[in-house]
Amino acid sequence: MICLQNVYWQRERRRGHSVLHNITFTIRQGGFRWLLGPSGAGKSSLLALLNLESLPLTGQMNILGKSVSNTTPRSALVRLRHRIGMVHQDYNLIHDLSVFDNVALPLRLQKRPEDEISEEVKAILSWVGLGAHTGMPSASLSGGEQQRTALARAIVHRPEIILADEPTNALEESQAYRLLDLFDELNTMGTTVIIATHNEALVRRMPRPSLYLENGHLTCEGGE
Amino acid sequence: MLSFLLPGRHDGLSLSKALPDRTLFFLVTMISFLAALTLTGANGARSLSERWQNGAAQLLTIQVPEPDQSVNNKLSTSRADTVVAALSKALPGSIVHRLTQAELNHLLTPWLGDIKDNALPLPGVIEVRLPDGSSPPDDLSKTLNDLVAGTSVERNTEWSERLKILAENLLTCATLALVAVTGVATMIIALTTRTGLSSRRNIIRILHSLGATDNYIAGRFASRTGLLALAGGISGTLLSLIPLTILFRMAAPFTAPSATITDLPEWYELTAMFPSDLLTALAALPFVAALIGWFTTQTIVRLWLLRMP
Repeated sequence: MICLQNVYWQRERRRGHSVLHNITFTIRQGGFRWLLGPSGAGKSSLLALLNLESLPLTGQMNILGKSVSNTTPRSALVRLRHRIGMVHQDYNLIHDLSVFDNVALPLRLQKRPEDEISEEVKAILSWVGLGAHTGMPSASLSGGEQQRTALARAIVHRPEIILADEPTNALEESQAYRLLDLFDELNTMGTTVIIATHNEALVRRMPRPSLYLENGHLTCEGGE
Repeated sequence: MLSFLLPGRHDGLSLSKALPDRTLFFLVTMISFLAALTLTGANGARSLSERWQNGAAQLLTIQVPEPDQSVNNKLSTSRADTVVAALSKALPGSIVHRLTQAELNHLLTPWLGDIKDNALPLPGVIEVRLPDGSSPPDDLSKTLNDLVAGTSVERNTEWSERLKILAENLLTCATLALVAVTGVATMIIALTTRTGLSSRRNIIRILHSLGATDNYIAGRFASRTGLLALAGGISGTLLSLIPLTILFRMAAPFTAPSATITDLPEWYELTAMFPSDLLTALAALPFVAALIGWFTTQTIVRLWLLRMP
């Protein structure tokens, strides 16, 4: 479950600053939300907040039953991060590493045995259609392949929450629908999914509840 | 460089590229070299201080003119032997030794040349080593002069006190130099770590968001700098052995007991001349360098990571 109550967050940046005001919503475990809004509305900031890359300045945030604030011990935040997966808009792949090693990262950080890692990573890469690319450097992949590598890395450790920031940006329509089907499949298996997108065609293809952000304010929350 | 010692992990940090390995290695080598020389200086100053405090200060030198003449015509005992007997009686527990002709020759040769055929009347020289912490009676000179006229007593205490203070100051300077060298090493390692962190900022952010702990990231950096510092420490210490060996060989005639002063020792004899505590300190130097590297990096990385939640 994800529950935010009156969350306020701000970050100074070189070009202006990002702000989230008074964000309140709840998503039960296994829920699905589109996160919509114009550019600069705060969608990426909200996802980063949910991915625990930053913490709320005020308000209450509860992720997977754990209250999250500035006083939450760092070790507890690490444990929570192991239960969340995120696909970033710019993929956030490490280009010095192969596709296999990129995807294996979350498992290695959880100190899983190498034989288990090998099995899991190969299975997930086959599932996203990259079974033949395991040894390739991630930098040599096309945009769509990098997107799927990022998805594989986000789900390889079977997180309970998946966050995706504009995951279909670099994809052709057919690839975008294929990716959407993968998210749908994960959601069907009980994973909470939040996808930030501009792509209205995607939203129309899979009508689900949505959160709408504008200037850092949550202006509309579609019910389930 | 050194990558055979430091296998990377498949986490993209690629610390062999992120950290200036060669620069760090050579800097630590030079710093360890300086530290080894400073340690030797400190060790030498401490030895001198102890020697002058416990050795030279407890020495008395007594000169007896016309040593082999009898004290008066009635007694057959020589003037020197009379003084030796009196000293043994007056200073119980002391070691009283009259220098032999050979020892006297050896002592004076540097100043007077070969004195075997010298017509100069030489006094008898008696060396007295007092027990530690004791001092001779104030009227010793008068007592001896009453017994054997012209006997002179030289006490080393005053000079040894001055030399002791000098040695203690040298020791303080060496300690300060050691602290400064440690400070420089710490700063260099801190700057190197900062450079590595800056160049790997994005990858660390990715690893952090994937659930990497502070222990993991700090450990990765610290083990690398620690091993580089260890390698640099070993290299610098080994390098320092070259000038130190030459120095010890040159100093051997001055540091050996007076009776055994000879020419410069052979090279193979030198290993036995290094003080054991200095050897221990030099052996520990690479490990201290590694510890400084590891600890400094751990601290810098952990402080840097605090900017992330």
